[in-house]
Amino acid sequence: MNKAKKILLAPLDPVHDIGLKIMNRALKEQGYETILLPPDYQPEEILKAALENDVGAILISRTLGYGVAELLSRFIDQAEAAGLRERVKIAIGGMGIRVELAQELGYDAGFGTGTVPEQVIAFIEEREPQLDHSGAVKIKKDLTQGYDYTYKHKHIESLLDQIADKTLAWAADKTSDAITRAALRRQMMEAAPGERQKAKERYIELSDERIRDFYLDGVMPPHTRLLSDQEMADMEKYVTSTKSRMRMKKLQKTEKNPTVFIQYGTGCPFMDVAHIKVGESWGADGVVHFDPSWGARTEGFLEGYLTHGQDGTIISPENLLAIKRSLEPSTIWQVRAHRGLNTPETVLLAGKVGADMTKINVAYGSLGGGTDPARLMVDAIQCMRYAKEFNLPFDVVTNEELCGVPAAKAFAGMLTTAHIGIRLGCRPVLQPLFVYSPEVMITGEMEDNYVDFNAAKIEALRSIIQAPIWPGAPIGFLTQTEDRVQSSLSTALHGALASSLGVEAISIASSDEAYSGGPIAGPSRIDTLTALKEAFRFFGAGAIRPTERAAVMAEKIMAGIIEALEQAAALESFPAALYAGVYGSTAEGAYPGRGGKDTVRLR
Amino acid sequence: MDAIDVETFFVCASEEEGRELALGLLEKFGLKDTDIVFIEHSGAGARVRARGYLYRAGDQYAWLAGEGEK
Repeated sequence: MNKAKKILLAPLDPVHDIGLKIMNRALKEQGYETILLPPDYQPEEILKAALENDVGAILISRTLGYGVAELLSRFIDQAEAAGLRERVKIAIGGMGIRVELAQELGYDAGFGTGTVPEQVIAFIEEREPQLDHSGAVKIKKDLTQGYDYTYKHKHIESLLDQIADKTLAWAADKTSDAITRAALRRQMMEAAPGERQKAKERYIELSDERIRDFYLDGVMPPHTRLLSDQEMADMEKYVTSTKSRMRMKKLQKTEKNPTVFIQYGTGCPFMDVAHIKVGESWGADGVVHFDPSWGARTEGFLEGYLTHGQDGTIISPENLLAIKRSLEPSTIWQVRAHRGLNTPETVLLAGKVGADMTKINVAYGSLGGGTDPARLMVDAIQCMRYAKEFNLPFDVVTNEELCGVPAAKAFAGMLTTAHIGIRLGCRPVLQPLFVYSPEVMITGEMEDNYVDFNAAKIEALRSIIQAPIWPGAPIGFLTQTEDRVQSSLSTALHGALASSLGVEAISIASSDEAYSGGPIAGPSRIDTLTALKEAFRFFGAGAIRPTERAAVMAEKIMAGIIEALEQAAALESFPAALYAGVYGSTAEGAYPGRGGKDTVRLR
Repeated sequence: MDAIDVETFFVCASEEEGRELALGLLEKFGLKDTDIVFIEHSGAGARVRARGYLYRAGDQYAWLAGEGEK
């Protein structure tokens, strides 16, 4: 259309004209002369203005509602009667307007929610709109960048040094079958073919019966099967096709909004990949691999492309590779090695396959995760060595709080594991539980709000060490119900709080978090990602402000951390303190795990 | 009472494909008066909320007519 012709913008609506004002500005910026009528004009008045100004196009705005279709249709009839219809383009825009409806009503075009000015300008200029279909440009983030791990609290640093010295000395002459198996796995991946077979035979010898049966007799664990070649080919096709049309939203509104992780582990690598692609499409920045709980109680890993019908996806080199191949380049991928009897091999595989992060823990993995403290500690040191070699930052969680362990003791455990990692040259990330903790359910400290206690946790950690903080896991746990609106809102509010506190990252649930009747469904992931995006948009550079109680709670947490660390420093090692209940007692709900008990051996 | 909403996610290449799949699903359910309340396609597929109206204003509502006629 010739720019000499004016554009008439008219709200055929008693009040709403925001969209037209935005369009008016965009058209002016493109050099068009426009006439913007105020709201509440009658159709006759709009058409009169069009005739008097000899306009080239009329852009009508109207929110769809009862009787509106008739009104819009009548406007077209009146335009025809006025002799305008043949020579003037007429378009309708507004909430609820769709292209098909606009055409049905006789309009040349219809623009609904989410329309960008380029689409309207392209309509006026009779060309295809030039839209950016690439989605958000995302860059993979290193959560540890900018952190130097200097301690602000020197007394705590000194206590942690004492515990780390004793623990590293205690572990120096100790090893486990898991450490040997990890070394053998490495040979199976790196050595010459003849050596690989020998390594595999030794690996099988050092595995549990369930694993030996698989390798030697082809017996599958319950509910488990190998995926067929055809299924794998179909998966490749699905991944290729999805990647070719991939568009990714960006959740963050401002730079201070945290990196957002989701967790997957449906049991099947195919469904995991589908969930990951949905998560990536709707803005997840990172994904965390959940493995089955039975895997944590078994010595040795299976091999091959494996699926099973229960929670958690089996860790095998092939499964991890299949998932890795599906990821977008910007997606941060974490493979957990925080509990169980295969943690060194898990970190090795994570490094070899190309994960970006891992998860190493001792306090939670033994007190709430079922693994023997001494075994987990010895294995964790090897995990940390691999993490350093493969440049994998790892987080340390405090999920033993979910067993009832007070936050202060759980934080002492987290700091101890993290400090041993720092001593070994690693880059740990602190992952405090950011939820409605059982501890405070009992004490009533979160009766008024969910803000103060979580804010206190972050404040306490900040006053101890300069380290990245990644609340989890997932945030808002135990506040969510099966109702998807409530669940999504709760997640979003916890995300907004975490953002207000300036943390590096968060792990979020799906809106199916509280549902226990079956696997998480794909749409439930979209619910919470969308809610979180809206929360980031809502607060922008603004923030949620804790009450004065947060500072009092932070002081109490600090006192508890110091008390626990002083007790631990007086004992032989970190595991000795775990057995003794320093980091959480049986009365509080912490039980030193028995998985791998008495399996630590001298080198 | 008045409508059935089906909220789901379709693995599909475009919003249009997602729309067709959703309306097709409602048709299979035997719903006649259907619409798409919300649809958004991004990368992996389409998030959709499809609706089938059982009653519009002014209809005779079976739930009002008595227990046996629900």
